[in-house]
Amino acid sequence: MNNKYKIIILGITVVIIFVLFLRVLNSNKTYQPNQMIGKKIPEFILEDLFNKNTRLDSKVFSDKDFAVLNIWASWCIPCRIEHPFLMDFRDKNQINIIGLNYKDESVNAKNFLKKYGNPYSLIGVDKKGEVAIQLGAYGVPETYVLKKGKIIFKHIGPLNEDAVNKILELKK
Amino acid sequence: MGGYIGNLALFFSLIFNVFLIFSLVKGIRSNNFKNLRTINFFNNSIFLLLLISFLTLIYCFIVSDFSNVAVYQNSHTTKPLIYKISGAWGNHEGSMVLFILILSLFSFVFFRTKVSEKLRVYTVFFQSILILIFLIFLILTSNPFDQMDPRPSQGLGLNPILQDPLLAIHPPFLYFGYVGFSLVFSFALAGLVTNNFDKSWSKIANFWIILPWSLLTIGIGLGSFWAYYELGWGGYWFWDPVENASLMPWLAATALIHSNIVTLKKDTLHSWTALLSIFTFIMSLLGTFLVRSGVLNSVHAFANDPYRGVYILSAILFITFFSLAIFIIKSPKKVLYGKYSFFLRDNFILINNCFLIFFLSVVLVGTVYPIILDAISGKSISVGPIYYHTILAPFLFVFLFFMSHGPLLSWNKEDKFLQIKNFKIFFLISIMISSVIIFWFFDYKDIILILGLFFSAYLITSVIFDWFSQKKLSLNFGRLVSHLGFGTLIFAIFINAYLSKEINAAMKVGDEIKIQDFIIKFKSINKIKKENYEEVFGNFLVTNKDKQVELTPSIRKYDQPIQFTSETSIKTNFIVDYYFAINLSEFEKDKIMVRFYYKPLMFWIWLSILLIAFGGIYQTFKLRNE
Repeated sequence: MNNKYKIIILGITVVIIFVLFLRVLNSNKTYQPNQMIGKKIPEFILEDLFNKNTRLDSKVFSDKDFAVLNIWASWCIPCRIEHPFLMDFRDKNQINIIGLNYKDESVNAKNFLKKYGNPYSLIGVDKKGEVAIQLGAYGVPETYVLKKGKIIFKHIGPLNEDAVNKILELKK
Repeated sequence: MGGYIGNLALFFSLIFNVFLIFSLVKGIRSNNFKNLRTINFFNNSIFLLLLISFLTLIYCFIVSDFSNVAVYQNSHTTKPLIYKISGAWGNHEGSMVLFILILSLFSFVFFRTKVSEKLRVYTVFFQSILILIFLIFLILTSNPFDQMDPRPSQGLGLNPILQDPLLAIHPPFLYFGYVGFSLVFSFALAGLVTNNFDKSWSKIANFWIILPWSLLTIGIGLGSFWAYYELGWGGYWFWDPVENASLMPWLAATALIHSNIVTLKKDTLHSWTALLSIFTFIMSLLGTFLVRSGVLNSVHAFANDPYRGVYILSAILFITFFSLAIFIIKSPKKVLYGKYSFFLRDNFILINNCFLIFFLSVVLVGTVYPIILDAISGKSISVGPIYYHTILAPFLFVFLFFMSHGPLLSWNKEDKFLQIKNFKIFFLISIMISSVIIFWFFDYKDIILILGLFFSAYLITSVIFDWFSQKKLSLNFGRLVSHLGFGTLIFAIFINAYLSKEINAAMKVGDEIKIQDFIIKFKSINKIKKENYEEVFGNFLVTNKDKQVELTPSIRKYDQPIQFTSETSIKTNFIVDYYFAINLSEFEKDKIMVRFYYKPLMFWIWLSILLIAFGGIYQTFKLRNE
């Protein structure tokens, strides 16, 4: 066989392997957490970050027609990118965002909000990350949209223009 | 401050690497290599800069500089010093720095050897391309010196299961092995491009293949040993994708060592040796991809950057494509086969090379196929030990047979008669050994067990025979030790697999249970508080016939992060391990789940792995002195 053909075959093989593994990489992001879509939010009660006497009870979501839950942590770099979006989102749309502080030190979390602003109306402290796992979270940051306690949408990674528009559409 | 220096060093090493590539291209084009000193300067500087960068990262971990994200996520002020240090390479970012540092170390050392200028320049050229690719990856997607503001007051801590002295040194060994194969990869490409792929190439390559191979053997052994006593499941090899990732380059490299010997002795198999040199490093890269991209542990890959996987995949396929394309265009065409005859050493080596590649394919399919199937069809299949054992065992026996006779054959002269004589001796001795063992210890006769014991005894006999029939002066000590180690390894694995016993039960203090030949008594329980964990010990007495063993397994509760680990208690001797682990029971609150294992010949498994590695290390020292 001519070398040219061999190299073409090699090239095609490499491309096929690339496409296959690209699917592997992408699939891992979507299939695991999707299981929670359409389901009721798992039950939990968490302490609030700023006020030890306030509790974040998952029942809160059942009463609300529309709620946004955002998982974040002070150590997470993408959260920092997301933060201005969240601030902007709350200011423009008058939507209460509930925060879930994932595997974080309270001091660090408070400093973070002091510096960059606090978009959350209530922040549950999920120190061990157990609630995030129950929610089927893949990483931080992650944003959930709930209707009457049911998860109807989730966005993995920092919020962007598209995700914000989608959330607003769901609100209508 | 430390992070700042490290970052700067990393950045400058990238710039210097670009300069290095330019000066290498200049040297290659002018064809007289007048700028060797410039090349040497850049090559050394890159190594130095990367070393500084790595040391500053370790420094950041030691002083607990939590403004550094990697330190924050993987360390804690209360950690013992050794785990602060090992934390530097126990995470993704740090381990990638180590990866690049080793690439550069090999390039640094190789350029100082006495190999011809042309080959050195070309080899360092390919090596610096690799460094460039991974440096860009590191700086763009996983910079270990990312800063956080405001600075957190405390870190998240290192996973307790990773807080183990063995695991502190296991990754460096594994990496020296994995990444060490990069040099023979670059050297093979250099040999191909300059049409220098011949006997003299093999002579130099020998050292650079056996060295990383030995280190990888130790690395795999350490990982296996860690899994044995830390995970608490009584096993030492789980055919887990991460373990397989390290086994695949090992198999490829083992094939390479042998085909390279044929190239060296008989000046044949050039293409095959070249291909294996390339392929071994590609297997290392595949392992890196599987472990580092988040493909495998996707569920726990929190805060994982999705671009990381895509970049590393593209990089690896880029390297694969270009190295194989070079191979296709430049593969050595000369064929110097003499008359073919079956009973020649190179023929036996070639046969076993085929087997090794077959073993490799089995592991490759078992590791990658479920991942791909899951992504494409959403179906999950589990590929477990049964798959590997069923497919590998029958071929392993044939492999052992050829391995026994290969070293006794001549390279050039066929002597069937002598082999038949040898065969008779080995056959008689090993049939005696294996039948004695089978009738003495086993109530049932399993054909796979019989064959396993027979062929491993066959190999051991042949090695001992070989040892005493060789002339003292030309004794190939390295090979003998490694082969002997492989024989005893297979022997111990078979005995262990068939004679191991396992007992599971829920017990409370004072309980006594009697299962099989064992009586287990739960004597007492006591608590200890340590610096960064609390530990609950159970005190057990195991009676086996007239032998009594006391074991004290424990459960640890770590503070940072809060996590429970089960610490095993193992009483070991040359013959058998008594292995005990306990867990908290979820269903019966007043009881503790106990797991007891009776594991024969574990000591011999570890010793065999050491022998295999020792043979390789001995050989590298010998080659270095030559």
